[in-house]
Amino acid sequence: MPKRRTDMSTLLELQMRLRRAVLGGDTGEIVAAIQGDGLDPAARVGIYRHHAFTTLGDALQTTFPVVCRLVDKRFFAYAAHEYLRQHPPHSRCLVEYGADFADFLARFTPCEKLPYLADVARFEWALNIAATVGEAAPLHAETLAAIPPGKAAYVALRLQPSLSYFASPWPIDTIWQANQADEVPPVDLASGGASLEIRRVGEAVSWRRLDLGTFAFRTALADGLVLAAAMSAATFKDPAFDLTVALRQVFSEGLAVDFGRPGSTSRIRELATERQERPNSSTRSHYATTNDMRCWSLQL
Amino acid sequence: MTRGRPIASGRVGIGLHLPHVSEIAAARPRLGFLEVHAENYMAETPALDRLLGLRRDYPVSLHGVALSLGSAERLDHCHLMRFKALIERVEPMLVSEHLAWSAISGAYLNDLLPLPYTEASLDLFCRHVDEAQEGLGRRLLIENPSSYLRYRDSTIPEAEFMTEVAHRTGCGILCDVNNVHVSASNFGFDPLAYLDALPIEAIGEIHLAGHRVAEDVGILIDDHGARVAEPVWGLYAAALRRFGPVPTLIEWDTNLPTLEVLLNEARHAEEAHRYVDAA
Repeated sequence: MPKRRTDMSTLLELQMRLRRAVLGGDTGEIVAAIQGDGLDPAARVGIYRHHAFTTLGDALQTTFPVVCRLVDKRFFAYAAHEYLRQHPPHSRCLVEYGADFADFLARFTPCEKLPYLADVARFEWALNIAATVGEAAPLHAETLAAIPPGKAAYVALRLQPSLSYFASPWPIDTIWQANQADEVPPVDLASGGASLEIRRVGEAVSWRRLDLGTFAFRTALADGLVLAAAMSAATFKDPAFDLTVALRQVFSEGLAVDFGRPGSTSRIRELATERQERPNSSTRSHYATTNDMRCWSLQL
Repeated sequence: MTRGRPIASGRVGIGLHLPHVSEIAAARPRLGFLEVHAENYMAETPALDRLLGLRRDYPVSLHGVALSLGSAERLDHCHLMRFKALIERVEPMLVSEHLAWSAISGAYLNDLLPLPYTEASLDLFCRHVDEAQEGLGRRLLIENPSSYLRYRDSTIPEAEFMTEVAHRTGCGILCDVNNVHVSASNFGFDPLAYLDALPIEAIGEIHLAGHRVAEDVGILIDDHGARVAEPVWGLYAAALRRFGPVPTLIEWDTNLPTLEVLLNEARHAEEAHRYVDAA
């Protein structure tokens, strides 16, 4: 066994060296391990390096086509190259590569003259999530209605896994849409920001602008806050926010797929059953767990 | 519509790509099977639904490109489970992977990187093939790589390494004839001797693809972006004579041509099968 460990550490070290050569371009550590066979070993490593960067760069371009269009292909290839060196993919499915590309662009100094670029990348990443995550069966509104009124405020909902909520000070959806045309129409960057909901619907990805109250409410739900806390967030943005209408829309649009927190789901179902069986019974145990209170207090 | 007509026919399949899906679904050309890269179907995309739709008419082969069986670290169990889940949905006729590594220490490099061929790497690779076959509940075919570098420490010829893997793990071999040609040309070995060194009974599939010549360095690059080259057709005929009527795939992944061009390549391979059958 010790021999095997030594052999493995040798192989691991070799692979780490080739990894550094492929990602970083410094072949100094690996060339001694490679046969020349009539060609500079560094040039041989370069063939693998070229393939890795080309295909991973193409994958990024597929996920972020409008970012690529906004900066042109050559600059995109340069930005992708720098990103790849610093953030190689973890997932072996290339559609899952690029989660932090927007954050990278936000810090990437050569892009600073395009302040909306990182948000366009965030939008395209949200579209990508929606394109690669299926719809879950929605929860029916009656399930919530069955919970005693006094307890409903402390219920959290789990939303469709394909959903993203994303707000920008720039009209990101307009910029994105304009860049679908061959001739890009002028976009008024001063026209204001957008609060967007992006999701999967069947085989399509859809997105829409939400009013501030609805956006705050749904974002809070997506973050796992209980209804009372989400309502508080929404009312802060829109004093006329109507919880009943907002909740009805959440259910009619099929956004909720389950109650939040697996641990509390069974308890909610239990409460719902209790209420149906003994409508007047006072609940013995309290559903509002410490976690729920924490969510609530965070909102305050 | 002619539903019920047997579509799957012959022993030659093509790699399935999104731009061809609608045309294949509508025209339903006669093909032995369709092959896809498993990793392209592990997310819940509409493409997966379309693949499952075509699966009703054609056998499907799942070709993994990222299991990284040659990595000197534990297999990615999560990836293995995703592969297994896909196998359960697609019920493929064949499942294959590569003699290569592509991920180390949390970074996936999206390339089939070469292993040194030593006793130690043979032990490691066989352990990983055992683990993968166990985890997937399927026999794997392992594909010979196209190579652009060899390590000084390698002591085992590649064909012998492949044979030993098949012998120790019970896996099959996916013989990529274009890869044999590319590596033989790059390193100056005899491709026919390579084929002769592989165990006939282990060969479960053949891959055919195009390659390009990197003029500046005088190396063949396996880019899957052109028609199968003449010398590769010659080597394919030799492979069929040695291995028998093995299912064969036309791979074309870059500079994607029209479906018609792909189908022509497939017909060419079918003719080679008939020629060898007759002989």
